[in-house]
Amino acid sequence: MSYPPVTLKRRKPNVWWRSVVIGLIALVINLPLVNALITSLKTDAAIGLSPFSFDGGLTLEHFTAILGGSGYNFLGFLANSAQISLGSVALIMVIAVPASYAIVRLGFGGSWLLQIITSLRLVPAMFFAIPFFLIFSSLGAYDTIVGLVLANAFINLPLALLIICGTLRELPVEIEEASTIDGAGPFRSLFSIVLPLLAPGLVAVGILVFVFSWSDYLFAVILSASNAVPVTVGAAFFVTSAGIAWGNLAAVTVVSVIIPLSFAFFAQRYLVRGLSAGAIK
Amino acid sequence: MTAPSSLTTRPTIEGRKGSRRRRPANRGPARWILSAPLLVFLALFVAFPIVYGVQSALTSKTLLDPTPTWVGLGNFGAVLTDAGFWHSALFTLLYTVVVTGFELAFGFGLALLFDKDFPGKKFLLSAVILPIMIAPALMGIMFRLLLNSNIGLLPGFLHSIGVDVPLLGAGTVVPMLMGLDVLQWTPFTFLLFHAALQSVPGELHEAAQLDRANYPRFVVSILIPLMVPTIFIAGFLRAIDAFRTFDTINVLTSGGPGDNTTTLSIYIYKILSAGNFGTASAAALIVALIMLPLVPVVVRRITRGAV
Repeated sequence: MSYPPVTLKRRKPNVWWRSVVIGLIALVINLPLVNALITSLKTDAAIGLSPFSFDGGLTLEHFTAILGGSGYNFLGFLANSAQISLGSVALIMVIAVPASYAIVRLGFGGSWLLQIITSLRLVPAMFFAIPFFLIFSSLGAYDTIVGLVLANAFINLPLALLIICGTLRELPVEIEEASTIDGAGPFRSLFSIVLPLLAPGLVAVGILVFVFSWSDYLFAVILSASNAVPVTVGAAFFVTSAGIAWGNLAAVTVVSVIIPLSFAFFAQRYLVRGLSAGAIK
Repeated sequence: MTAPSSLTTRPTIEGRKGSRRRRPANRGPARWILSAPLLVFLALFVAFPIVYGVQSALTSKTLLDPTPTWVGLGNFGAVLTDAGFWHSALFTLLYTVVVTGFELAFGFGLALLFDKDFPGKKFLLSAVILPIMIAPALMGIMFRLLLNSNIGLLPGFLHSIGVDVPLLGAGTVVPMLMGLDVLQWTPFTFLLFHAALQSVPGELHEAAQLDRANYPRFVVSILIPLMVPTIFIAGFLRAIDAFRTFDTINVLTSGGPGDNTTTLSIYIYKILSAGNFGTASAAALIVALIMLPLVPVVVRRITRGAV
């Protein structure tokens, strides 16, 4: 007679209820997005009839309408958002990476500099938006992509510096010391040794800055009028126009949200680390 | 690095602190060159706008009369004696307290649910934190779709059980706006709590089990005291952001009906849109000064571990 092998492992408690409860919570949290997605796929007839109606099945007509032109400048808004976000990421990298190295490794500005910059993020953005508006207007940077890139770089700089400084701080300094002994100056150390090691942190910063620049509404609404309008402001144009085309509006929000979302989803693990490291949005 | 570093004291960090002191000090020119882009940017986009903002707060510059005339503290007096300012300040305060409270409670509860393994954990974590990545202005438009009396899912559902209330009407709009904020930012407090809970050593669970403490007792007597620093920082961060709420409310109600949902940010924006630059700058300066006492508390916690 053979006995089954004796295991000391305790029986795993049944945890499916947790998945079900959290699944329901996730659904509630994402209800606005799910609702917009469903609305964007319904026919105008079904949307007008009732929120539960699916007359005419699913259709992509709203997406072809907003992306195909026909009086909307949605593609222009998308292009503006992309330029503003990418421009902010590029500008922030140029400013924050060398500065972080100087702050953390070369002791520039002590802990004071970073604290002052961090406090900028806590001052209401409206406080800066007004002088920006007045200055940009007199310099001709009002309603330009460059103006919004500068504003978004400004607003995201504290987060970027915090994450990059934090990541740099975690890197063992011994590698750089070794390279210094081998005769590398600080610039050589930064570019050949520190930058490759810093890459994961920089990915996190890049994604966060991209997503938050894409999300900006306050600076966009104050600093743009027609030429540099991004999707956050442009989408709202669809609301105020006489007789709202709900299906098209839903499609507009879905496309505007899906782009940064898929971007963020793609690099999730960097993102969560960056968010919890920076602990500030 | 906020909560995790305060809960786990890794000896390596101390070691690194030591190595920081060994930092070579004779790299003067390099550190100025590397910091130059930052310093130029800060001068142009921080120092200059602050000076400019304070200056315009002291003048009577408007769209119709663009030549600034010195009025001293007159603009501040005008703002502080405006009933609209106090009304929006009160509303902002109420909004901030309510949404921060709910977001802390819900975020903590959700983090507790995530504190054990369960099927589909990774996917559900991604799903739960999704709203953080959505632009608040676009979230506002999605809420318009959700709450519209004719086509909205929520009114449709309420109608089917016999309740007919316009959800964005005067009586219900405030809870709806608060609900939107809670829906969008509970994921943020959750993320902070989740990260902090992961660094609670497992021995504490075992010790509590040995002492036959049940789970609620364990949470109240052990977890919550351990999490106090994280609760504070999450609360501060959310409060600061809720205090300057602008995007969602501007998209959904533009501060109306009447002045019902006018936050301080929207109050300032209305003055700015009317072209009263001097008064708007003064109001913005007052709001910034209200926030100022909180700043050092939060900043010291946030920058810990970064330099």
